[in-house]
Amino acid sequence: MTDAALEALLQDARRPQLPDGLMSRVLDAGLAAQPAPGGTSAPVSRWQRLTGAMTGAIGGWQGLGGLVAATCAGFWIGINPPQYLPDVALSLLGADAVFETTDTAEVTAYGWVVDEGNDIDG
Amino acid sequence: MPLDQDTETDDAALLARYALGDAAATRTLTLRLTPRVFGHAFRVLGDSAEAEDVAQEAMLRLWKIAPKWEADRARVSTWLYRVTANLCTDRLRKRRGGPVLDNIAEPADPAPGVEGQMQTRARMDALTAALQSLPERQRQAVVLRHIEGLANPEIADILDVGVEAVESLTARGKRALKAALAPQKQALGYSDDS
Repeated sequence: MTDAALEALLQDARRPQLPDGLMSRVLDAGLAAQPAPGGTSAPVSRWQRLTGAMTGAIGGWQGLGGLVAATCAGFWIGINPPQYLPDVALSLLGADAVFETTDTAEVTAYGWVVDEGNDIDG
Repeated sequence: MPLDQDTETDDAALLARYALGDAAATRTLTLRLTPRVFGHAFRVLGDSAEAEDVAQEAMLRLWKIAPKWEADRARVSTWLYRVTANLCTDRLRKRRGGPVLDNIAEPADPAPGVEGQMQTRARMDALTAALQSLPERQRQAVVLRHIEGLANPEIADILDVGVEAVESLTARGKRALKAALAPQKQALGYSDDS
């Protein structure tokens, strides 16, 4: 048997005649299992499902807008904080303010002399 | 164009319409997919009644998954062939000793003339019996490639194997089919050069 003859035989076998009533049974089952019109939404992709779940968790698109606005505001305050705001690093360390305990004069060669009121030359 | 005669609309789009309650989409999908599912199952199982059960079960699974169908999932037809292949595998595993090949009933094929009809019937019976003599994976691959006309990557997806494995399965399957049919060549009306 040649390849061509076998190919032709396989082609002829493509669509056997359907048993009586199979098509109508499948159709009936399909109609019985079919959701009512408007009873379900169209299929969505996994990505759409994931983003939908995330936005739903934070209150929908309005919630997402608020979150974005708050993030931008926080970012700007971090870059350029108002003068009256406490220093975050100090708050974390439990201190209210930094007091300068050194003076330039104390760390220079003449600092102690100046403090003592002595004249180095005399 | 009525959906019943529609050959262009994508299966996935029709499935989406089915999930929205569109009865015309149900009819189109039934007309389009049931013959493929039955044909696949019949050639793999070699038994019309069992193939009918498999076709109904596979289509029922399609209806049930429709509302949950994800648009970026595999093609609808690929998914359905995979379900059908798995259902056939389950049935073949349950069989003990396989079907009695002499009793395989080939659905009647419409052919012009009684003589032509008889020869077509004899060839189809011989092909069905020869297919049943192949190992199951070879049979599935040959049916999907050479009868259903699918491309190798899609068959690989359906059978969950690599493309190279599909090529090997179909090549070995075709050789085995030719060997199984060779002794009946004359009886089936094939000449020496066909």
